Amino acid sequence: MTHERPILSIEGLSKSYPTGFWRKPVRVLSDLSCEVRENEIVGFLGPNGAGKTTTIKILNRLAFPDAGKVTLFGGRVRDGADVRRRIGFMPEQPYFYEYLTGGEFLRLCGQLCGMSRTEMESRSSELLSRVGLSGARDTAIRKYSKGMMQRLGLAQALLHDPELVILDEPMSGLDPMGRMEVRGIIRDLKAAGKTVFFSSHILSDVEALCDRVIMLHKGRKVAEGRVEELIGAETLHIELVVSPVLPADRLAAAGIPPEAGYAHGALLVLRAPDNGQANRWIAALLREGCMVISCVPMKKGLEEIFMERVGVSVATGTAS
Amino acid sequence: MIRRILSIAANTFRETIRNKILYAILAFALFVIGMTFFLADLSVGDFARIIADVGLASIHIFGVIMAVFLGINLVSNEVDRKTIHIILSKPVRRSEFIFGKTLGLSVTLLLTTLAMAAVLFLVHLSYQYGGRAEIGIFIASAGIYMELVLLTCLASLFSTFTTPVLSAIFTLSLFLVGHLTKYLYVLGEQSKAAAVRWGSRFLFFLLPNLENFNWKNEVAYGGLKSFSILGWAAGYLAAYAACVLCLSCLLFARKDFK
Repeated sequence: MTHERPILSIEGLSKSYPTGFWRKPVRVLSDLSCEVRENEIVGFLGPNGAGKTTTIKILNRLAFPDAGKVTLFGGRVRDGADVRRRIGFMPEQPYFYEYLTGGEFLRLCGQLCGMSRTEMESRSSELLSRVGLSGARDTAIRKYSKGMMQRLGLAQALLHDPELVILDEPMSGLDPMGRMEVRGIIRDLKAAGKTVFFSSHILSDVEALCDRVIMLHKGRKVAEGRVEELIGAETLHIELVVSPVLPADRLAAAGIPPEAGYAHGALLVLRAPDNGQANRWIAALLREGCMVISCVPMKKGLEEIFMERVGVSVATGTAS
Repeated sequence: MIRRILSIAANTFRETIRNKILYAILAFALFVIGMTFFLADLSVGDFARIIADVGLASIHIFGVIMAVFLGINLVSNEVDRKTIHIILSKPVRRSEFIFGKTLGLSVTLLLTTLAMAAVLFLVHLSYQYGGRAEIGIFIASAGIYMELVLLTCLASLFSTFTTPVLSAIFTLSLFLVGHLTKYLYVLGEQSKAAAVRWGSRFLFFLLPNLENFNWKNEVAYGGLKSFSILGWAAGYLAAYAACVLCLSCLLFARKDFK
Protein backbone atom coordinates (compact mmCIF):
# COMPACT_ATOMS: atom_id res chain seq x y z
CA MET A 1 0.00 0.00 0.00
CA THR A 2 1.51 3.33 -1.01
CA HIS A 3 1.77 6.41 1.22
CA GLU A 4 1.46 4.29 4.35
CA ARG A 5 4.76 2.70 5.28
CA PRO A 6 7.46 5.16 6.37
CA ILE A 7 10.62 4.56 4.37
CA LEU A 8 12.51 7.30 6.10
CA SER A 9 11.94 8.34 9.65
CA ILE A 10 13.79 11.10 11.47
CA GLU A 11 13.34 11.51 15.22
CA GLY A 12 14.66 14.37 17.32
CA LEU A 13 17.65 15.09 15.08
CA SER A 14 20.06 17.73 16.38
CA LYS A 15 23.40 18.77 15.00
CA SER A 16 26.00 21.42 15.84
CA TYR A 17 29.20 22.25 14.02
CA PRO A 18 32.30 23.48 15.82
CA THR A 19 33.39 26.94 14.68
CA GLY A 20 36.73 27.17 16.42
CA PHE A 21 38.50 26.12 19.58
CA TRP A 22 37.17 28.91 21.79
CA ARG A 23 33.86 29.61 20.11
CA LYS A 24 30.52 28.03 20.83
CA PRO A 25 29.43 25.45 18.27
CA VAL A 26 26.79 26.62 15.83
CA ARG A 27 23.59 24.65 16.05
CA VAL A 28 22.28 23.85 12.57
CA LEU A 29 19.53 21.37 13.44
CA SER A 30 17.27 21.33 16.49
CA ASP A 31 15.07 18.43 17.35
CA LEU A 32 13.93 17.71 13.80
CA SER A 33 11.38 14.94 13.38
CA CYS A 34 9.66 13.96 10.16
CA GLU A 35 8.77 11.03 7.96
CA VAL A 36 8.81 10.12 4.28
CA ARG A 37 6.40 7.41 3.24
CA GLU A 38 6.59 4.94 0.41
CA ASN A 39 6.02 6.30 -3.11
CA GLU A 40 5.74 9.91 -1.97
CA ILE A 41 7.48 12.93 -3.43
CA VAL A 42 8.45 15.03 -0.44
CA GLY A 43 9.92 18.52 -0.74
CA PHE A 44 12.33 19.79 1.83
CA LEU A 45 12.11 23.58 1.92
CA GLY A 46 14.04 26.27 3.66
CA PRO A 47 16.25 29.28 3.09
CA ASN A 48 20.05 29.08 3.02
CA GLY A 49 21.37 27.85 6.35
CA ALA A 50 18.08 26.24 7.35
CA GLY A 51 19.71 22.84 7.83
CA LYS A 52 18.46 21.05 4.70
CA THR A 53 21.85 19.98 3.41
CA THR A 54 22.99 18.95 6.90
CA THR A 55 19.92 16.74 7.25
CA ILE A 56 20.57 15.19 3.85
CA LYS A 57 24.23 14.61 4.75
CA ILE A 58 23.18 12.83 7.94
CA LEU A 59 20.87 10.60 5.89
CA ASN A 60 23.84 9.69 3.71
CA ARG A 61 26.34 9.18 6.56
CA LEU A 62 28.38 12.19 5.50
CA ALA A 63 27.74 13.81 8.87
CA PHE A 64 26.72 12.41 12.24
CA PRO A 65 24.01 13.84 14.49
CA ASP A 66 24.62 14.97 18.07
CA ALA A 67 21.26 13.52 19.04
CA GLY A 68 18.32 11.80 17.41
CA LYS A 69 17.73 8.80 15.24
CA VAL A 70 17.40 8.21 11.51
CA THR A 71 15.65 5.06 10.33
CA LEU A 72 15.80 4.01 6.67
CA PHE A 73 13.71 1.06 5.50
CA GLY A 74 13.21 0.15 9.14
CA GLY A 75 16.96 0.05 9.93
CA ARG A 76 19.28 2.59 11.54
CA VAL A 77 21.21 4.76 9.08
CA ARG A 78 24.53 3.31 10.23
CA ASP A 79 23.44 -0.07 8.93
CA GLY A 80 25.55 -1.35 6.11
CA ALA A 81 25.62 -1.86 2.41
CA ASP A 82 22.17 -3.42 2.04
CA VAL A 83 20.42 -0.21 3.11
CA ARG A 84 22.75 2.02 1.07
CA ARG A 85 22.10 -0.06 -2.04
CA ARG A 86 18.42 0.95 -1.84
CA ILE A 87 19.20 4.69 -1.79
CA GLY A 88 20.26 7.02 -4.57
CA PHE A 89 21.78 10.35 -3.63
CA MET A 90 22.64 13.45 -5.57
CA PRO A 91 24.51 16.11 -3.58
CA GLU A 92 24.06 19.84 -4.08
CA GLN A 93 26.32 20.93 -6.96
CA PRO A 94 27.78 17.45 -7.40
CA TYR A 95 31.53 17.15 -7.83
CA PHE A 96 33.14 14.40 -9.88
CA TYR A 97 36.56 13.08 -10.76
CA GLU A 98 37.40 15.46 -13.56
CA TYR A 99 39.93 13.09 -15.14
CA LEU A 100 37.15 10.56 -15.85
CA THR A 101 34.60 10.65 -18.64
CA GLY A 102 30.90 10.54 -17.82
CA GLY A 103 30.76 6.87 -18.84
CA GLU A 104 33.80 5.95 -16.71
CA PHE A 105 32.30 7.70 -13.70
CA LEU A 106 29.03 5.80 -14.02
CA ARG A 107 31.01 2.56 -14.36
CA LEU A 108 32.82 3.34 -11.11
CA CYS A 109 29.49 4.05 -9.38
CA GLY A 110 28.06 0.80 -10.73
CA GLN A 111 31.04 -1.18 -9.44
CA LEU A 112 30.66 0.38 -5.99
CA CYS A 113 26.97 -0.54 -6.01
CA GLY A 114 27.78 -4.16 -6.90
CA MET A 115 26.20 -4.09 -10.34
CA SER A 116 27.17 -6.58 -13.04
CA ARG A 117 28.99 -5.28 -16.12
CA THR A 118 26.04 -5.83 -18.48
CA GLU A 119 23.57 -4.28 -16.07
CA MET A 120 25.90 -1.32 -15.63
CA GLU A 121 26.30 -0.76 -19.35
CA SER A 122 22.60 -0.94 -20.15
CA ARG A 123 21.56 1.29 -17.21
CA SER A 124 24.33 3.81 -18.04
CA SER A 125 23.20 4.12 -21.65
CA GLU A 126 19.56 4.38 -20.64
CA LEU A 127 20.19 7.02 -17.99
CA LEU A 128 22.65 9.10 -19.99
CA SER A 129 20.07 9.24 -22.72
CA ARG A 130 17.31 10.08 -20.20
CA VAL A 131 19.26 13.02 -18.78
CA GLY A 132 20.40 14.20 -22.22
CA LEU A 133 24.07 13.26 -21.92
CA SER A 134 24.35 10.32 -24.32
CA GLY A 135 26.52 12.45 -26.64
CA ALA A 136 28.86 13.32 -23.77
CA ARG A 137 29.47 9.78 -22.53
CA ASP A 138 33.11 9.76 -23.65
CA THR A 139 33.79 13.42 -22.87
CA ALA A 140 36.04 14.21 -19.89
CA ILE A 141 34.00 15.58 -17.00
CA ARG A 142 36.34 18.59 -16.78
CA LYS A 143 34.74 19.75 -20.04
CA TYR A 144 31.18 19.48 -18.69
CA SER A 145 29.11 22.60 -18.02
CA LYS A 146 27.39 23.12 -14.66
CA GLY A 147 24.10 21.87 -16.07
CA MET A 148 25.77 18.74 -17.49
CA MET A 149 27.32 18.02 -14.08
CA GLN A 150 23.88 18.30 -12.53
CA ARG A 151 22.50 15.84 -15.08
CA LEU A 152 25.36 13.41 -14.49
CA GLY A 153 24.70 13.73 -10.76
CA LEU A 154 21.13 12.68 -11.36
CA ALA A 155 22.21 9.76 -13.56
CA GLN A 156 24.61 8.36 -10.93
CA ALA A 157 21.91 8.65 -8.26
CA LEU A 158 19.50 6.56 -10.33
CA LEU A 159 22.02 4.11 -11.80
CA HIS A 160 21.41 1.23 -9.39
CA ASP A 161 17.62 1.67 -9.55
CA PRO A 162 17.20 2.75 -5.90
CA GLU A 163 13.89 2.68 -4.04
CA LEU A 164 14.51 5.99 -2.28
CA VAL A 165 16.04 8.90 -4.18
CA ILE A 166 17.45 11.80 -2.15
CA LEU A 167 18.24 14.90 -4.17
CA ASP A 168 19.83 18.03 -2.76
CA GLU A 169 18.78 21.03 -4.87
CA PRO A 170 18.32 19.04 -8.09
CA MET A 171 17.17 22.07 -10.12
CA SER A 172 20.11 24.24 -9.14
CA GLY A 173 22.15 25.38 -12.14
CA LEU A 174 19.67 24.10 -14.71
CA ASP A 175 18.08 26.17 -17.45
CA PRO A 176 14.25 26.14 -17.77
CA MET A 177 14.42 23.21 -20.19
CA GLY A 178 16.64 21.26 -17.82
CA ARG A 179 14.33 21.99 -14.90
CA MET A 180 11.39 20.72 -16.88
CA GLU A 181 13.29 17.52 -17.72
CA VAL A 182 14.22 16.96 -14.08
CA ARG A 183 10.60 17.50 -13.06
CA GLY A 184 9.65 14.87 -15.63
CA ILE A 185 12.23 12.43 -14.24
CA ILE A 186 10.96 12.93 -10.69
CA ARG A 187 7.39 12.31 -11.83
CA ASP A 188 8.52 9.18 -13.70
CA LEU A 189 10.23 7.92 -10.55
CA LYS A 190 7.00 8.24 -8.62
CA ALA A 191 5.11 6.49 -11.41
CA ALA A 192 7.65 3.65 -11.16
CA GLY A 193 6.87 3.27 -7.47
CA LYS A 194 9.96 5.05 -6.14
CA THR A 195 10.10 7.51 -3.28
CA VAL A 196 11.70 10.92 -3.80
CA PHE A 197 12.93 13.28 -1.10
CA PHE A 198 14.40 16.49 -2.42
CA SER A 199 15.40 19.88 -1.14
CA SER A 200 14.83 23.00 -3.15
CA HIS A 201 14.67 26.77 -3.03
CA ILE A 202 12.40 26.88 -6.03
CA LEU A 203 8.95 26.87 -4.47
CA SER A 204 7.07 26.65 -7.75
CA ASP A 205 8.84 23.35 -8.53
CA VAL A 206 8.02 22.00 -5.11
CA GLU A 207 4.40 23.07 -5.39
CA ALA A 208 4.08 21.45 -8.81
CA LEU A 209 5.78 18.16 -7.87
CA CYS A 210 5.37 17.29 -4.24
CA ASP A 211 2.79 15.27 -2.37
CA ARG A 212 4.04 16.67 0.90
CA VAL A 213 6.43 19.35 2.04
CA ILE A 214 8.56 19.83 5.12
CA MET A 215 9.59 23.41 5.83
CA LEU A 216 12.70 24.17 7.80
CA HIS A 217 13.94 27.44 9.22
CA LYS A 218 17.06 27.91 11.33
CA GLY A 219 17.28 24.19 11.94
CA ARG A 220 13.71 23.77 13.13
CA LYS A 221 10.70 22.38 11.35
CA VAL A 222 8.15 25.17 10.85
CA ALA A 223 5.56 23.28 8.79
CA GLU A 224 4.85 19.83 7.44
CA GLY A 225 1.88 18.61 5.47
CA ARG A 226 0.31 17.73 2.18
CA VAL A 227 0.69 20.48 -0.39
CA GLU A 228 -3.06 20.76 -1.07
CA GLU A 229 -3.77 21.00 2.64
CA LEU A 230 -1.21 23.72 3.16
CA ILE A 231 -2.12 25.83 0.18
CA GLY A 232 -5.86 25.07 0.22
CA ALA A 233 -6.48 25.84 3.84
CA GLU A 234 -7.05 29.55 3.49
CA THR A 235 -8.33 31.93 0.80
CA LEU A 236 -6.36 35.17 0.53
CA HIS A 237 -9.05 37.09 -1.38
CA ILE A 238 -11.52 36.77 -4.26
CA GLU A 239 -10.28 38.24 -7.50
CA LEU A 240 -12.99 39.72 -9.72
CA VAL A 241 -12.30 40.77 -13.29
CA VAL A 242 -14.98 42.97 -14.88
CA SER A 243 -15.41 45.12 -17.95
CA PRO A 244 -15.55 48.03 -18.65
CA VAL A 245 -13.41 49.99 -16.22
CA LEU A 246 -15.59 52.19 -13.98
CA PRO A 247 -14.32 55.54 -12.75
CA ALA A 248 -13.59 55.89 -9.03
CA ASP A 249 -16.70 57.95 -8.26
CA ARG A 250 -19.04 55.35 -9.81
CA LEU A 251 -17.26 52.57 -7.90
CA ALA A 252 -17.68 54.51 -4.65
CA ALA A 253 -21.36 55.15 -5.47
CA ALA A 254 -21.81 51.38 -5.99
CA GLY A 255 -20.37 50.73 -2.50
CA ILE A 256 -17.00 49.45 -3.76
CA PRO A 257 -13.90 51.15 -2.35
CA PRO A 258 -11.90 52.43 -5.38
CA GLU A 259 -8.62 51.36 -3.72
CA ALA A 260 -9.81 47.72 -3.90
CA GLY A 261 -9.19 47.64 -7.65
CA TYR A 262 -7.00 48.71 -10.50
CA ALA A 263 -7.37 48.99 -14.25
CA HIS A 264 -5.62 46.45 -16.42
CA GLY A 265 -6.12 47.62 -19.99
CA ALA A 266 -9.85 47.52 -20.70
CA LEU A 267 -10.47 45.37 -17.60
CA LEU A 268 -11.04 46.26 -13.98
CA VAL A 269 -9.49 43.91 -11.43
CA LEU A 270 -11.00 43.96 -7.94
CA ARG A 271 -9.95 42.13 -4.79
CA ALA A 272 -12.85 41.27 -2.50
CA PRO A 273 -11.79 40.23 1.02
CA ASP A 274 -14.33 37.36 1.29
CA ASN A 275 -17.16 35.54 -0.50
CA GLY A 276 -19.96 37.71 0.95
CA GLN A 277 -18.31 40.93 -0.14
CA ALA A 278 -17.58 39.46 -3.56
CA ASN A 279 -21.28 38.60 -4.03
CA ARG A 280 -22.36 42.11 -3.00
CA TRP A 281 -19.82 43.70 -5.37
CA ILE A 282 -20.89 41.46 -8.27
CA ALA A 283 -24.54 42.49 -7.77
CA ALA A 284 -23.58 46.19 -7.64
CA LEU A 285 -21.33 45.90 -10.72
CA LEU A 286 -24.07 44.18 -12.71
CA ARG A 287 -26.42 47.01 -11.76
CA GLU A 288 -23.82 49.47 -13.10
CA GLY A 289 -23.91 47.61 -16.45
CA CYS A 290 -20.60 45.78 -16.06
CA MET A 291 -19.89 42.29 -17.32
CA VAL A 292 -18.16 39.86 -14.94
CA ILE A 293 -15.31 38.14 -16.81
CA SER A 294 -14.04 35.97 -13.95
CA CYS A 295 -14.33 35.39 -10.23
CA VAL A 296 -11.46 33.39 -8.73
CA PRO A 297 -10.74 32.64 -5.07
CA MET A 298 -6.99 33.26 -4.61
CA LYS A 299 -5.33 30.70 -2.32
CA LYS A 300 -2.07 31.09 -0.54
CA GLY A 301 0.89 29.69 -2.43
CA LEU A 302 3.74 27.83 -0.79
CA GLU A 303 5.75 31.01 -0.91
CA GLU A 304 3.21 32.96 1.19
CA ILE A 305 2.84 30.04 3.58
CA PHE A 306 6.60 29.70 3.89
CA MET A 307 7.13 33.41 4.54
CA GLU A 308 4.28 33.41 7.03
CA ARG A 309 5.64 30.38 8.94
CA VAL A 310 9.14 31.76 8.99
CA GLY A 311 7.81 35.14 10.15
CA VAL A 312 5.68 33.56 12.89
CA SER A 313 8.50 31.43 14.13
CA VAL A 314 10.85 34.39 14.30
CA ALA A 315 8.25 36.63 15.97
CA THR A 316 7.40 34.08 18.63
CA GLY A 317 11.04 33.31 19.19
CA THR A 318 10.63 29.63 18.46
CA ALA A 319 13.47 29.64 16.00
CA SER A 320 16.95 29.48 17.37
CA MET B 1 34.12 -5.72 -0.04
CA ILE B 2 37.22 -6.73 -2.05
CA ARG B 3 35.55 -5.61 -5.26
CA ARG B 4 34.76 -2.18 -3.82
CA ILE B 5 38.32 -1.76 -2.51
CA LEU B 6 39.70 -2.77 -5.91
CA SER B 7 37.35 -0.34 -7.69
CA ILE B 8 38.51 2.54 -5.50
CA ALA B 9 42.14 1.41 -5.91
CA ALA B 10 41.78 1.27 -9.69
CA ASN B 11 40.27 4.75 -9.71
CA THR B 12 43.05 6.10 -7.49
CA PHE B 13 45.63 4.49 -9.76
CA ARG B 14 43.94 6.13 -12.76
CA GLU B 15 43.91 9.47 -10.92
CA THR B 16 47.60 9.34 -10.05
CA ILE B 17 48.84 8.16 -13.43
CA ARG B 18 46.91 11.02 -15.05
CA ASN B 19 48.70 13.46 -12.77
CA LYS B 20 51.15 15.51 -14.83
CA ILE B 21 53.24 16.47 -11.79
CA LEU B 22 53.96 12.77 -11.18
CA TYR B 23 55.33 12.47 -14.70
CA ALA B 24 57.46 15.58 -14.22
CA ILE B 25 59.01 14.14 -11.04
CA LEU B 26 59.47 10.72 -12.66
CA ALA B 27 61.08 12.19 -15.78
CA PHE B 28 63.49 14.21 -13.66
CA ALA B 29 64.27 11.14 -11.55
CA LEU B 30 65.00 9.04 -14.64
CA PHE B 31 67.18 11.82 -16.01
CA VAL B 32 69.21 12.01 -12.78
CA ILE B 33 69.57 8.21 -12.65
CA GLY B 34 70.66 8.19 -16.29
CA MET B 35 73.24 10.88 -15.52
CA THR B 36 74.97 8.60 -13.00
CA PHE B 37 76.51 6.96 -16.08
CA PHE B 38 78.53 10.14 -16.66
CA LEU B 39 78.97 10.87 -12.97
CA ALA B 40 80.98 7.68 -12.53
CA ASP B 41 83.56 9.02 -15.01
CA LEU B 42 84.20 11.98 -12.75
CA SER B 43 84.87 9.87 -9.67
CA VAL B 44 87.86 7.93 -8.47
CA GLY B 45 87.69 4.25 -7.52
CA ASP B 46 84.86 1.74 -7.87
CA PHE B 47 82.77 3.24 -10.65
CA ALA B 48 79.98 0.67 -10.46
CA ARG B 49 79.65 1.39 -6.73
CA ILE B 50 79.20 5.11 -7.46
CA ILE B 51 76.45 4.33 -9.94
CA ALA B 52 74.62 2.05 -7.51
CA ASP B 53 75.11 4.43 -4.60
CA VAL B 54 73.95 7.62 -6.33
CA GLY B 55 71.30 5.82 -8.35
CA LEU B 56 69.66 4.16 -5.34
CA ALA B 57 69.81 7.43 -3.40
CA SER B 58 68.02 9.09 -6.33
CA ILE B 59 65.34 6.38 -6.39
CA HIS B 60 64.92 6.86 -2.65
CA ILE B 61 64.66 10.66 -2.71
CA PHE B 62 62.40 10.90 -5.73
CA GLY B 63 60.26 8.03 -4.44
CA VAL B 64 59.78 9.84 -1.14
CA ILE B 65 58.84 13.04 -2.98
CA MET B 66 56.24 11.14 -5.01
CA ALA B 67 54.86 9.22 -2.02
CA VAL B 68 54.55 12.33 0.14
CA PHE B 69 53.22 14.55 -2.63
CA LEU B 70 50.55 12.05 -3.68
CA GLY B 71 49.91 10.63 -0.20
CA ILE B 72 49.08 13.91 1.53
CA ASN B 73 46.42 14.65 -1.06
CA LEU B 74 45.05 11.14 -1.06
CA VAL B 75 42.05 11.81 1.19
CA SER B 76 42.14 15.58 1.64
CA ASN B 77 41.65 16.20 -2.10
CA GLU B 78 38.53 14.05 -2.07
CA VAL B 79 37.19 15.97 0.93
CA ASP B 80 38.07 19.41 -0.45
CA ARG B 81 36.68 18.67 -3.90
CA LYS B 82 33.63 16.96 -2.33
CA THR B 83 33.99 13.95 -4.62
CA ILE B 84 33.85 11.86 -1.46
CA HIS B 85 30.16 12.79 -1.01
CA ILE B 86 29.05 10.65 -3.91
CA ILE B 87 31.46 7.79 -3.18
CA LEU B 88 30.53 7.41 0.49
CA SER B 89 26.82 7.64 -0.27
CA LYS B 90 27.22 4.36 -2.17
CA PRO B 91 27.40 1.05 -0.30
CA VAL B 92 31.05 1.74 0.59
CA ARG B 93 32.48 1.62 4.10
CA ARG B 94 34.86 4.39 5.03
CA SER B 95 37.53 1.81 5.84
CA GLU B 96 37.17 0.38 2.32
CA PHE B 97 37.71 3.86 0.95
CA ILE B 98 40.95 4.30 2.95
CA PHE B 99 42.26 0.85 2.00
CA GLY B 100 41.35 1.37 -1.66
CA LYS B 101 43.01 4.77 -1.88
CA THR B 102 46.21 3.50 -0.24
CA LEU B 103 46.30 0.40 -2.42
CA GLY B 104 45.83 2.46 -5.60
CA LEU B 105 48.70 4.78 -4.73
CA SER B 106 50.88 1.83 -3.74
CA VAL B 107 50.42 0.36 -7.23
CA THR B 108 51.43 3.68 -8.81
CA LEU B 109 54.53 3.83 -6.61
CA LEU B 110 55.35 0.23 -7.52
CA LEU B 111 55.40 1.11 -11.21
CA THR B 112 57.44 4.30 -10.74
CA THR B 113 59.96 2.56 -8.47
CA LEU B 114 60.21 -0.32 -10.94
CA ALA B 115 60.83 2.12 -13.80
CA MET B 116 63.57 3.91 -11.86
CA ALA B 117 65.16 0.61 -10.75
CA ALA B 118 65.10 -0.72 -14.32
CA VAL B 119 66.86 2.38 -15.66
CA LEU B 120 69.48 2.16 -12.91
CA PHE B 121 69.98 -1.54 -13.61
CA LEU B 122 70.55 -0.82 -17.31
CA VAL B 123 72.95 2.04 -16.57
CA HIS B 124 74.87 -0.18 -14.18
CA LEU B 125 74.92 -3.02 -16.68
CA SER B 126 76.04 -0.89 -19.57
CA TYR B 127 78.83 0.95 -17.79
CA GLN B 128 81.99 0.15 -19.65
CA TYR B 129 84.45 -0.11 -16.75
CA GLY B 130 83.49 -3.06 -14.60
CA GLY B 131 79.74 -2.94 -15.18
CA ARG B 132 77.88 -6.07 -14.04
CA ALA B 133 74.32 -7.33 -13.75
CA GLU B 134 73.63 -6.20 -10.21
CA ILE B 135 70.43 -7.91 -9.04
CA GLY B 136 70.93 -6.19 -5.71
CA ILE B 137 69.60 -2.99 -7.31
CA PHE B 138 66.16 -4.60 -7.49
CA ILE B 139 66.43 -5.91 -3.92
CA ALA B 140 67.38 -2.47 -2.57
CA SER B 141 64.64 -0.90 -4.70
CA ALA B 142 62.15 -3.35 -3.20
CA GLY B 143 63.25 -2.07 0.23
CA ILE B 144 62.78 1.53 -0.93
CA TYR B 145 59.36 0.61 -2.29
CA MET B 146 58.32 -0.89 1.06
CA GLU B 147 59.43 2.29 2.78
CA LEU B 148 57.37 4.34 0.29
CA VAL B 149 54.28 2.22 1.01
CA LEU B 150 54.73 2.86 4.72
CA LEU B 151 55.15 6.58 4.10
CA THR B 152 51.99 6.51 1.97
CA CYS B 153 50.08 4.95 4.86
CA LEU B 154 51.41 7.61 7.22
CA ALA B 155 50.60 10.42 4.78
CA SER B 156 47.06 9.09 4.30
CA LEU B 157 46.68 8.88 8.10
CA PHE B 158 47.58 12.56 8.45
CA SER B 159 45.46 13.54 5.47
CA THR B 160 42.35 12.17 7.23
CA PHE B 161 42.47 14.89 9.87
CA THR B 162 44.72 17.75 8.85
CA THR B 163 45.69 19.98 5.94
CA PRO B 164 48.03 18.83 3.15
CA VAL B 165 50.80 21.17 4.33
CA LEU B 166 50.73 19.81 7.88
CA SER B 167 50.43 16.26 6.54
CA ALA B 168 53.58 16.83 4.49
CA ILE B 169 55.44 18.25 7.52
CA PHE B 170 54.37 15.34 9.74
CA THR B 171 55.19 12.70 7.13
CA LEU B 172 58.60 14.14 6.28
CA SER B 173 59.37 14.46 10.00
CA LEU B 174 58.56 10.78 10.47
CA PHE B 175 60.68 9.97 7.41
CA LEU B 176 63.69 11.68 9.00
CA VAL B 177 63.04 10.29 12.47
CA GLY B 178 62.36 6.87 10.98
CA HIS B 179 65.97 6.64 9.77
CA LEU B 180 67.34 7.66 13.16
CA THR B 181 65.30 5.52 15.57
CA LYS B 182 68.15 3.08 16.26
CA TYR B 183 70.27 6.00 17.49
CA LEU B 184 67.39 7.04 19.71
CA TYR B 185 67.42 3.55 21.24
CA VAL B 186 71.21 3.44 21.64
CA LEU B 187 71.36 6.88 23.23
CA GLY B 188 68.42 6.08 25.53
CA GLU B 189 70.10 2.88 26.74
CA GLN B 190 73.16 4.88 27.80
CA SER B 191 71.09 6.99 30.19
CA LYS B 192 71.15 6.26 33.92
CA ALA B 193 67.52 7.35 34.37
CA ALA B 194 65.09 4.45 33.98
CA ALA B 195 62.35 6.79 32.72
CA VAL B 196 64.57 7.93 29.84
CA ARG B 197 65.51 4.35 28.98
CA TRP B 198 61.86 3.24 28.98
CA GLY B 199 60.83 6.38 27.10
CA SER B 200 63.39 5.79 24.36
CA ARG B 201 62.43 2.11 24.12
CA PHE B 202 58.76 3.11 23.82
CA LEU B 203 59.54 5.61 21.07
CA PHE B 204 61.78 3.08 19.32
CA PHE B 205 58.89 0.65 19.04
CA LEU B 206 56.26 3.33 18.35
CA LEU B 207 58.06 5.21 15.57
CA PRO B 208 58.63 3.53 12.21
CA ASN B 209 62.08 2.06 11.83
CA LEU B 210 62.74 2.83 8.17
CA GLU B 211 66.28 1.46 8.38
CA ASN B 212 64.63 -1.97 8.21
CA PHE B 213 64.18 -1.26 4.49
CA ASN B 214 67.57 0.27 3.79
CA TRP B 215 70.01 -1.98 1.93
CA LYS B 216 71.61 0.62 -0.26
CA ASN B 217 75.08 0.27 1.26
CA GLU B 218 75.02 -3.52 1.01
CA VAL B 219 74.22 -3.24 -2.69
CA ALA B 220 76.85 -0.58 -3.31
CA TYR B 221 79.51 -2.76 -1.72
CA GLY B 222 78.20 -5.91 -3.41
CA GLY B 223 77.13 -7.68 -0.24
CA LEU B 224 73.47 -8.22 -1.05
CA LYS B 225 72.58 -11.12 -3.33
CA SER B 226 69.49 -12.79 -1.91
CA PHE B 227 65.81 -11.80 -1.95
CA SER B 228 65.30 -13.62 1.37
CA ILE B 229 66.12 -10.42 3.25
CA LEU B 230 62.82 -9.03 1.99
CA GLY B 231 60.77 -11.42 4.14
CA TRP B 232 61.47 -9.80 7.52
CA ALA B 233 61.02 -6.30 6.05
CA ALA B 234 57.73 -7.29 4.41
CA GLY B 235 56.47 -8.66 7.73
CA TYR B 236 57.44 -5.44 9.52
CA LEU B 237 55.75 -3.38 6.77
CA ALA B 238 52.55 -5.46 6.96
CA ALA B 239 52.29 -5.13 10.74
CA TYR B 240 53.12 -1.42 10.89
CA ALA B 241 50.98 -0.48 7.86
CA ALA B 242 48.02 -2.45 9.28
CA CYS B 243 48.25 -0.48 12.55
CA VAL B 244 48.51 2.87 10.73
CA LEU B 245 45.63 2.06 8.38
CA CYS B 246 43.43 0.89 11.26
CA LEU B 247 44.14 4.17 13.05
CA SER B 248 43.28 6.08 9.85
CA CYS B 249 39.98 4.20 9.58
CA LEU B 250 39.21 4.91 13.23
CA LEU B 251 39.83 8.65 12.81
CA PHE B 252 37.95 8.74 9.52
CA ALA B 253 34.95 6.74 10.72
CA ARG B 254 33.20 9.63 12.49
CA LYS B 255 34.43 12.53 10.41
CA ASP B 256 31.79 15.06 9.33
CA PHE B 257 32.03 16.36 5.78
CA LYS B 258 30.93 19.98 5.42
